[in-house]
Amino acid sequence: MTAAPGLAERQAAFMRAILDADAPLPDGWGAAHAVGLGIYRGNYRHALMEALASSFERTGKALGADDFRQARINHLIADPPSHWTIDACGAGFDETCARAFAPMPHIAELAWLEWAMLDCVGAPDAPPITPADFAEASARFGDAQWLSLILTFAPRAKAAEVAHDLAALWTSLDGEAAQLAPAVIAQRGGCLVWREGERATFVMVSAENACAFAAMQAGARYGDLIGLIAGDDPDDRTIAAAAGAAGQMLGLWLAHGLVTGFTAPSIA
Amino acid sequence: MLSAPPSIPPFSGFGLGLRPPHFDDFLSEEPVKSVDFVEVIAENYMVEGGRWLRLLGLVRERLPVILHAVSMSIGSAHGLDCDHLFRLKALADRIDPLWVSDHLCWTRTSAHNAHDLLPLPLTKAALQVVCENIDTAQSALGRAMLFENPSSYLTFPEDEMSEWEFLSDMARRTGCYLLLDVNNIYVSARNHGFDPHEYLAGLPLDRVRQIHLAGHDPATLQRPVIIDTHDREVAGEVWALYAHAMSLIGQPVATMIERDENIPPLAELLSELERARTIVGVAAGTVVSA
Repeated sequence: MTAAPGLAERQAAFMRAILDADAPLPDGWGAAHAVGLGIYRGNYRHALMEALASSFERTGKALGADDFRQARINHLIADPPSHWTIDACGAGFDETCARAFAPMPHIAELAWLEWAMLDCVGAPDAPPITPADFAEASARFGDAQWLSLILTFAPRAKAAEVAHDLAALWTSLDGEAAQLAPAVIAQRGGCLVWREGERATFVMVSAENACAFAAMQAGARYGDLIGLIAGDDPDDRTIAAAAGAAGQMLGLWLAHGLVTGFTAPSIA
Repeated sequence: MLSAPPSIPPFSGFGLGLRPPHFDDFLSEEPVKSVDFVEVIAENYMVEGGRWLRLLGLVRERLPVILHAVSMSIGSAHGLDCDHLFRLKALADRIDPLWVSDHLCWTRTSAHNAHDLLPLPLTKAALQVVCENIDTAQSALGRAMLFENPSSYLTFPEDEMSEWEFLSDMARRTGCYLLLDVNNIYVSARNHGFDPHEYLAGLPLDRVRQIHLAGHDPATLQRPVIIDTHDREVAGEVWALYAHAMSLIGQPVATMIERDENIPPLAELLSELERARTIVGVAAGTVVSA
């Protein structure tokens, strides 16, 4: 491509002036340009603030208008958008909330949940495997096939360990007159997020389940999962209990329609 | 120009920018008879699956669809975003649109994206960058594109030509077509003090395939700049300029009402579309003006 001397510099200076009201005006610009620049800067801020407000509606309700506005401003200053879709500006907003509202950790968890659900909306379509279909397909599995089993999950499904009952929190923020419910749970739990048909959804699970889901999503085999649950130097009884626990997890994933495919490489 | 892109034949019709509040209208059992095509914001559908992509497919079964992109950033000195281009092509291959369009503008540097249609300096160097990027885009998409004249709120001290001269050279050198936004011409003419009729007279109008009509926020004593807002009905001055444009354009074009904020019930937009139909009828001599 032919070099464009001047244009890249001009665009970089223009962008700096949009992002930062204190940045100097680009070379050769005067008061009239400052008026126009102010309009572009206003458009930029308005579009991104609205995009974040739309993406994190419940987080906004939980925070209240003033704190939510400041959180969005902080996020856009710390992490100006670089992706071609404006929707991507919400990436990392949960981390912004975690830093800004450390005494209220449920806020960051809620922001994580909203972002995870939004991310599912445009994920590839992938019909789930029903429990009956999986039972039929796995009926002839021997031990080797079970141990080598690899699962494929709903595209862009996500798992996280959480300290709050996000289901209760979510429901409490429904409607206009939302009330923030106390939602701390006694033991750390887990949350799985995916798209069910065309609707993003989530379910609260145990922290172990969320951790297992993330491991399997990353490519772990079913045998690895049993080993993970059983821990170091397990005896036969512990292994049997771990296999039972893994089976319960698999059953839950299948029941919720999270499993969309599987391979058992040992099968010819 | 790398090689001449396939030509886009003229399309005669009247359409709307399709936004989510009106999907039900367009998918109801009773078809919207007075709409010949719809235009959608391409980026909203550049996804891999889900509800909105499915609904767009259903609309496409009923009507021609135009993909109007806003993030190609054809004026970026750093070239095009390959991921954006790849996804736009995937959508175009899936939807088989009437055509694909974007704007004469830039939106991003190598580091950041403003998500706004920013103006370009009207220089030979910028024209060279734009033409190279259009060649790349048209080659990747395998089709000619339309590019829309932007509304703008500032001009550059280094400008070497008028916007209509820039657009004319751009179309000649790349084989692209023009999406004429009449409201944008009006807005920029008022903001920068040029004659909109001179603008129209200076364009290669045979390259126009589509016209946008939209509303704007008028200047005030406190703010002497008109802002392109797409949040209200088309202004009287813009209708007059549209009538003038249609009297100059020799081939059929697709005319569209564009509304992005304060989206009203469909009937209001159809009423504006009828006004455009009447104006075209008058320009063509098939309707007698009252």
